[in-house]
Amino acid sequence: MFKRLFDWLRQPLGLIAVGIVLLTVFSLAAYGIFLTQQSSAQPIQFPHRTHVGFGIQCLYCHPGAARGPSAGIPSQAKCWGCHQQIAKTQTSALLAPLKQAVESGTPIQWVPVAMVPDFVQFNHRAHVAAGQNCEDCHGDMTLVTIAENPQVFNMGWCLDCHRKAAGEDEAKLLKLADCGTCHY
Amino acid sequence: MSENFSRRDFLKLAGLGAATTAVLTGCGPASRFVRREPYMQMPEYTYNGLSTYYATTCRECAAGCGLVVRTMQGRAIKTEGNTNHPLNLGKTCARGQATLQGLYNPDRVTDPIQKARGTALGRESGNLLDWDAAIQVAADALGKHKPEEIAFLLGLAPDHLDDLVRELAEATGINPPLRFGALSMFEARATLSRAAENLFGKSGIPYFDIGGAQVVFSFGANFLETWLSPVSYTRGFAQMREALSKRRGTFVQFEPRLSSTGAKADEWIPIRPGTEALVALTIGRLAFELIGGALPRAFSDVDPMQAAAKSGVKLETLQRLAALFAGSPHSLAIPGGPALGLKNGLSVAEAVLALNAIPNNFGKPGGVFFSAPAPGQMESSRAASTREMRDFITKLADGDIKVLFIHGVNPVFELPAEMGFKDALQNVEQVISFATFPDETALEADFILPDHHGLESWGYQQVGTGTAQSVLSGAQPVVSPFYNTRATVDVLLAAAKLAGGAFAQALPYVDEVAFVQHRIAPLMRESGGPFSAPEIGAFSAYFQQHGGWWKKGTDLLPPNPADVLNRDLDQTESEFVGEGEFFLVPFVSPTLAEAGANKPWLQELPDPTTTVMWNTWVEMNPATAHDLHIENEDVVVITSEAGEVEAPVYLYPAIRPDTIAIPFGQGHSSYGRYAAGRGANPADLFGLHFNQAGDLAFAGMKVTVRKTDRKQALSRMESLMGVYGEGLGQEK
Amino acid sequence: MNSKIPEIKLSEEQTGKWGMVIDQDICTGCQACVAACAMENNLSFVGEVDAGYGRSMHWIRIERFWEGEYPEVKMTPGQPMMCQQCGSAPCEPVCPAFATVHSQAEQLNLQVYNRCVGTRYCANNCPYQVRSFNWRDYVRPEPLPNQLNPDVTVRRMGVMEKCTFCIQRIHKAEDKAKSEGRELTDGEFTTACAQACPANAITFGRIDQPESLVSQLIRKHGHGVKHLEELGTLPSVTYFKGG
Repeated sequence: MFKRLFDWLRQPLGLIAVGIVLLTVFSLAAYGIFLTQQSSAQPIQFPHRTHVGFGIQCLYCHPGAARGPSAGIPSQAKCWGCHQQIAKTQTSALLAPLKQAVESGTPIQWVPVAMVPDFVQFNHRAHVAAGQNCEDCHGDMTLVTIAENPQVFNMGWCLDCHRKAAGEDEAKLLKLADCGTCHY
Repeated sequence: MSENFSRRDFLKLAGLGAATTAVLTGCGPASRFVRREPYMQMPEYTYNGLSTYYATTCRECAAGCGLVVRTMQGRAIKTEGNTNHPLNLGKTCARGQATLQGLYNPDRVTDPIQKARGTALGRESGNLLDWDAAIQVAADALGKHKPEEIAFLLGLAPDHLDDLVRELAEATGINPPLRFGALSMFEARATLSRAAENLFGKSGIPYFDIGGAQVVFSFGANFLETWLSPVSYTRGFAQMREALSKRRGTFVQFEPRLSSTGAKADEWIPIRPGTEALVALTIGRLAFELIGGALPRAFSDVDPMQAAAKSGVKLETLQRLAALFAGSPHSLAIPGGPALGLKNGLSVAEAVLALNAIPNNFGKPGGVFFSAPAPGQMESSRAASTREMRDFITKLADGDIKVLFIHGVNPVFELPAEMGFKDALQNVEQVISFATFPDETALEADFILPDHHGLESWGYQQVGTGTAQSVLSGAQPVVSPFYNTRATVDVLLAAAKLAGGAFAQALPYVDEVAFVQHRIAPLMRESGGPFSAPEIGAFSAYFQQHGGWWKKGTDLLPPNPADVLNRDLDQTESEFVGEGEFFLVPFVSPTLAEAGANKPWLQELPDPTTTVMWNTWVEMNPATAHDLHIENEDVVVITSEAGEVEAPVYLYPAIRPDTIAIPFGQGHSSYGRYAAGRGANPADLFGLHFNQAGDLAFAGMKVTVRKTDRKQALSRMESLMGVYGEGLGQEK
Repeated sequence: MNSKIPEIKLSEEQTGKWGMVIDQDICTGCQACVAACAMENNLSFVGEVDAGYGRSMHWIRIERFWEGEYPEVKMTPGQPMMCQQCGSAPCEPVCPAFATVHSQAEQLNLQVYNRCVGTRYCANNCPYQVRSFNWRDYVRPEPLPNQLNPDVTVRRMGVMEKCTFCIQRIHKAEDKAKSEGRELTDGEFTTACAQACPANAITFGRIDQPESLVSQLIRKHGHGVKHLEELGTLPSVTYFKGG
């Protein structure tokens, strides 16, 4: 029985069929992978562009970047500090989730955008102190509403920059290219 | 494409398929699907991604070590010692480290619950209450009974709760709270205190300045494990040993079974159980003979030859040890552990304490003191002896007590089953437990009104012993309560208010914090503290920030040595109860202590001497085992006059052939998933026998050992090191 | 651009950067260091059966041996055994995935979890037997994960792990010193085990700086032992037997 099947598969039509099946499997696989990499929608369509446009500094809402490992998401009290004085907050459909969250006292479930895997220990402070600007990694926030990553944060990209930063300084390179600098 | 679809091609295709599957299933990083919740209102001293540290007090035992807990985003991450705290100077024991596994334990009591007695905790067996209803229950319990029908049974920590209940008792006439804990039973605190009273005319827990001593003789004291204040005594031991500037101190341990404290001794003297007092007095006599002068009354009656024969210690050894003890002006003798749990435990304590009169080290560096009294510490709030517990149980059984409140203690597990605590509860109308954990006692209650975990609580602990300074250790919440629990002090305050009458007037405090502030307020006028403040708000803030209040300089009290040797001391050997051929030495597990079994990492710590994890074992000398045809991991039944216990044998090279030993700490029937149904509880073996001071004679038994035909593998660290360790055999 | 990583230099004189001294005479075997390490480094507990098979995840263990027979039996002083952070580590050359690499910056043996494929060659070649392997995804029931230290990776099944000398604390202290524009001072931070030890038997610090506390202790005691030094592993941990 298997012999008949193989014989059929060997003829041109069979090969096409096999090709179609394989193609389908691989497209489904690719789509599946694509799906796993998709983040779900943000609870609030937060317009970074608008806020930066008002001249608000990144560090006003994300002060952790200058002090410690994580930049942090501002507390709802901080959002509300400005927004309760803005008339539009009461009416805008976009801002309804914020109003609702503050009034009901439930935290907003933000979807993280810029993130590194669990096995990477990233420290914002060192990068800010080394003179990196926020947009060097996170892109130009005047151009986007919801934050997007301009590049994938993979190790090659990190190391490229680390090597550049070290320049000809061997000791610095040892430190910046050391596995133990990020992985522990 | 080849003519034949070869096996190789098939494998290739199969491999590709497998790869696709792997990619599809294994690729999505779980962190893609996380959500980040911001603070609603970020505390002003908090930064995202940076830790905040809070000073508080460890509640794993009653010693009162200061902790600094690292928290991050409202979670407790790590406990560290408070480096400024005079008791532990930044150090902790294993239990202090693992306290977080109690805080975030999956089996805590999450809500106030009304339940049927004796049933496990669960939605089916119980009826969740809201706190208003729960407080009404407590209020009714207080208000609808006569004061003398109400009793409180409290643990050894925290002290502020004890102070509150004591205040309530004084104002309303309810029974004063009784405090108890398995550690106080095994430490035989009442015995130590009584021995001090007999010798020095004043009761109190003695403090031993091990750090300043050059020769330390310990009769059973397990001061490097769980005894009184293990962290500070370990520091003392290290100072005695380390002393690079002076001669390295010598340490001799007298005990029938080598404990993990004894393992650090330069010499281990495996004396026959029951002869501790005799050996101590003999050493005293021999030492005095070396020094010369008139033999004092205390030592005059002993016959060294006979003592050597009875104790199994050679006369030459006794002479050598006496010379060693007499040879230093800084010799120290410490009574403790199972030696005090003999039927003549008080005699042992007196005889050993009397040895300290030879160098006359009382009140001198390297000697014996009375512990520095903590601010506000009252004699009445000491731990009850086991005999007092028995009297209390009799009261319960007689129906004299209608309402019993229980906090911080688990007598159903800790007390000998023979004492009948569980049965006595049947005659108590209402049992209200404040347990954080569904332990055996909490399950026998009608209501559980869960207290916060120690790391979520306000309060203080009076440091009873272990440091030269007078210390009140402060506690504050390091995280907000994780579950729907409420501070017991707050519950009592609210209930007393609802109950009305004398109760409402007895406790004029708004809440727990106000009560703590009220109690620490007198310290504001004291000088010599680490900080000062003109008003209570600031003072209280400093108190929490520093982790407590302590006086500079020593507050140790010298005992009065005048009459120590001018008396007859009892040298008779201890009697033993039971017909068996083995002396039984029960000891508190050094890693679990009395309440550590619910923390998985404490379970996985190897015992320091046997390296056994996660279970109970019976220690037996290999030669004895050989004679009885018992092998390692054979399950044996130990029978005493009171009961039976089953556990596998561990062939322990450092135990007398006529003695077996068993650790206390396991054998829970509930108390969370990591404790329940694991190991055996030696308390089932203890008969109702007390020493002269009323402490349980837990080491005063003779037992029989019967081999069963079963084997039970013991998980242990030794000889199983590394990833290719020898297998254990069958899964259980 | 300089992309060449300098070769590892091996010499008998080479000293590491970080080191420990352990005074066995005062180690009481109390297991406080073991618990502290477990809490700091997110170690999984494995349960009774796996622990019995020798699969427990202790990064530090306290070894003890028996000498003699009753009644002249003696337990040897507690010997805390953790990764010795060898200068010339046997685990390193055998890793086919370069997951076990030598940190040139910190002079430590690293275990890079994301590179590790679980061959366990390193554990087999480690003469100290201090590496532990994640045989399973060990379960931490909720809410136990709340205590996880965010500075340390939570390891998964199939990954080797071992003592890191609390490298997260090294980095944190270095970062703090740098942010304050100063050099790291001796004793400013320590490892979790040394921090907890009630007897102060463990001391951690720079062994390449002669005035550091560890260097002073090594000179003062004068008879420190490095375990299995004869294998040429250049361990960074010095033991004082004392007594």
